[in-house]
Amino acid sequence: MSTNATRMLVDATIEALRRHSPFDRMEREALIFLAEKAKLGYFPKDSYIVTPEMGPVNTFYIIQRGKVLARQSGEINVTEYSSLTLGMGECFPIGSVMARRASTNSYVAIVDTFCYQLAAEDFVQLMQMSQQFNLFCTQYIATLLNQSRRQLQVQFAQRAAEQQSMSSPLSSIISKAPVSVGPETPIRQVVEAMVSGHVGSMVVVDENQQPIGIFTQSDALKRILLPGLSLDRPIADVMSSHPHALPEHAHVYDAALAMAMHSVRHVLAVDGEGRLKGVVSERDLFTLQRVGLRQIRQSIEGAQDIAVLRQAGADVRQLALNMLAQGVGAEQLTQFISALNDTVTRRVIQLNLARHDLYGIEWTWLSFGSEGRDEQTFSTDQDNGILYICPDIMNREELELRLLEFAQDVNRDLDAVGFPFCKGNIMASNSELCLTLEAWEEKFLRWIRVPEPQALLNASIFFDFRGLYGATHLADRLRMSLLKMVKSQGVFLRMMASNALQVQPPLGKIRDFVTDLNPEHPGCIDLKTYGARLFIDAARIFSLATGLYNTNTVQRIRLSGQRMGMASDETAAIVEGFNFIQLLRLRHQHFEHEHGRPGDNFINPDQLNELDRRILKESFRQVRKLQQRLKLDYQV
Amino acid sequence: MQWLKNLFGVAAADPDVSLPPEQAAALEEWRKRPPEDFSQPHFRTRYVVVDVEASGLNMIKDRLISIGAVAVNGGMIDPLDAFGIVLRQDEVSSHENILIHGIGGSAQQDGVEPAEALLRFLDYVGKAPLVAYHAEFDQAMIDRAMKRYLGVSPDLRWIDLAWVLPELYRERIDAQVQLDDWLAQFGISNFLRHNAIADAYATAQLLQVALTRGAALGKESAQVFMDTERARRWVRRAG
Repeated sequence: MSTNATRMLVDATIEALRRHSPFDRMEREALIFLAEKAKLGYFPKDSYIVTPEMGPVNTFYIIQRGKVLARQSGEINVTEYSSLTLGMGECFPIGSVMARRASTNSYVAIVDTFCYQLAAEDFVQLMQMSQQFNLFCTQYIATLLNQSRRQLQVQFAQRAAEQQSMSSPLSSIISKAPVSVGPETPIRQVVEAMVSGHVGSMVVVDENQQPIGIFTQSDALKRILLPGLSLDRPIADVMSSHPHALPEHAHVYDAALAMAMHSVRHVLAVDGEGRLKGVVSERDLFTLQRVGLRQIRQSIEGAQDIAVLRQAGADVRQLALNMLAQGVGAEQLTQFISALNDTVTRRVIQLNLARHDLYGIEWTWLSFGSEGRDEQTFSTDQDNGILYICPDIMNREELELRLLEFAQDVNRDLDAVGFPFCKGNIMASNSELCLTLEAWEEKFLRWIRVPEPQALLNASIFFDFRGLYGATHLADRLRMSLLKMVKSQGVFLRMMASNALQVQPPLGKIRDFVTDLNPEHPGCIDLKTYGARLFIDAARIFSLATGLYNTNTVQRIRLSGQRMGMASDETAAIVEGFNFIQLLRLRHQHFEHEHGRPGDNFINPDQLNELDRRILKESFRQVRKLQQRLKLDYQV
Repeated sequence: MQWLKNLFGVAAADPDVSLPPEQAAALEEWRKRPPEDFSQPHFRTRYVVVDVEASGLNMIKDRLISIGAVAVNGGMIDPLDAFGIVLRQDEVSSHENILIHGIGGSAQQDGVEPAEALLRFLDYVGKAPLVAYHAEFDQAMIDRAMKRYLGVSPDLRWIDLAWVLPELYRERIDAQVQLDDWLAQFGISNFLRHNAIADAYATAQLLQVALTRGAALGKESAQVFMDTERARRWVRRAG
């Protein structure tokens, strides 16, 4: 070789590459490496460059000039496009070369084409050298991920064909122009307008057309008729202020979620400037759903006995399945399931309060584990406890007994409505878990001071507590003291970190995945133990370290990542990875339920399609990144 | 005396040139390298695409100033397998000439001692078939420089794309044209025109095209390309 000639050719290649993304942002050193390692090849018009039949891809191609058509092979489309033309400076096949798998696309030169070709080993090295290139590839995978989700939607769509899409924008289901009045309008005039216009609700707007309140038919009875209010008073006196509003391009399921979470029947759609564009009522959503939200929540809130709630519990599951079918993402879906399960649990508690007199006691119902984190899947058992305050004048033991009796009934009823008893007895009726604030603090402190294995395991369940009913501010107080305790005992987080690192993502050295970890499920991966939990554990540690109140894993990752100075696209990639694993779990549980089996978390990667397998692998890589961060931060 | 030439791979030495021992040894080293099998298919052959810059266009009078070469090995261009050298000039070429290739006076005087430069070139080429566009000029300039500085005319085999391409792409251009016409046909750009390395790089890409087309037409070895070229030249002369 001759150095000056090589340098000239390398410079020329760099010049050519730099006209295109991501090479325009690439670090100089990485560019030189790329230009030195890349060989130039030629492909005449109509020749195949890469096809699935060629087996594992070991070359990465960058088009120097020419055009290449990427075409889906096989019967099942794994991406949303069936063909795509690539031009100068574009690269392929990124996913396959990262995974060293056969490509799912075939790539054909549609004109005479020259490509820089980089061997897979050099590609890997380049990813390590260049943050920019790494980012480019990661983002590419993220878009694949979105495509996969849409693909999933298509696969389910036939099953849910009779239903309209929950993922269409709100604006698509607003049929009537909004009716609105100013805040000074007399009540009489408003009611007359509602009657003559046959509308069930009236939005009150300010001079900028921004909604400031809402008045509904049912309000008329409670707020005007019964108190005998004068009809000449302004509507502002009787409206509900701060109505729930969403941007008009928000999805229908966002409205459904808002209604379920805030127990409201109307959500307003507003434009970019906050001006009223329409009203979405529960009834509008109802027409979209075979099993409507309204029905479910009405039946939950009005349920007088357990049998009705049991039906509601089943309906929640069915509704969630429909939403899964309509392509709602894992994050929204698990939140949705949790929100509706919360409603069921609250009603069970309410029903039992009628039989148990807890008047005058400050207490709150706690949920732990996945319910505490707002990320329940279809298969979920009980994880709960009670936190209370014992005033000096009361006998603590007597009080505890009353609460335990109450808890026993609630636990039993929850089991009856479809949340099975917890095998590990993590239930409020367990006297160990029905404690005063001081006792909870003491318990937590003990685990934090002596972080032996059982204590760490406990921490991973109980530290994700959330107040669900009653005096929920008590849960916040407990959270505050927990954060203080963790802060003062530095070694605890380190122990938690080393505990979390005991389990590694099942990425194989030779094969893609390690699938022989559970002898009872050969060929499968337990996506809870070896997938979701790894994200959850790391997120918990980061949230405790950065003093977050949040229990939800996605929120924990986003917020703690922000506080720790992680790049936002890095955290976004991690969140996508977590959501994807959750999505696979939900989908799997759905199929298991359909076939009458209890939903487990064992996924056989060979049964996934090519794209999903690739994304799963990338998701595991993301959790490995998260673990590396733990390792670095805690030196374990 | 062609048989003698073939036997030794080097024409009989010019008694006027006496090389220092290391250079004589290097030349002998090159001579002893096993010959390439020109009947191998293209994808097993290493071609060396050559372009030279000289003090002018007169093949008899003008001097060789620089050689640029890019290999096409297995159909691929590897930037690490490229060659470029400037030969030291006792007398700097004309101003007009410098403006063409851009190798200035001091660069010409700072060049590598000619015998050394030519030996390095031989070492880089090995016994690979050489390829150029309008190869007569490159071939003549190199051959004359070798005779002058090494005292021999090594038996290097040349392929002229100016003759081979019209045979492969009759439907496009069935005539002798300029290099730029062919480059334009395939959209190949030249990042630095009249630089020996850049010209060789562009020509190498043209060779990639030719090799692929050749293989598709059954003209799948260096030998066949040489035969094609000879036949076409003969036909042209006869016609």
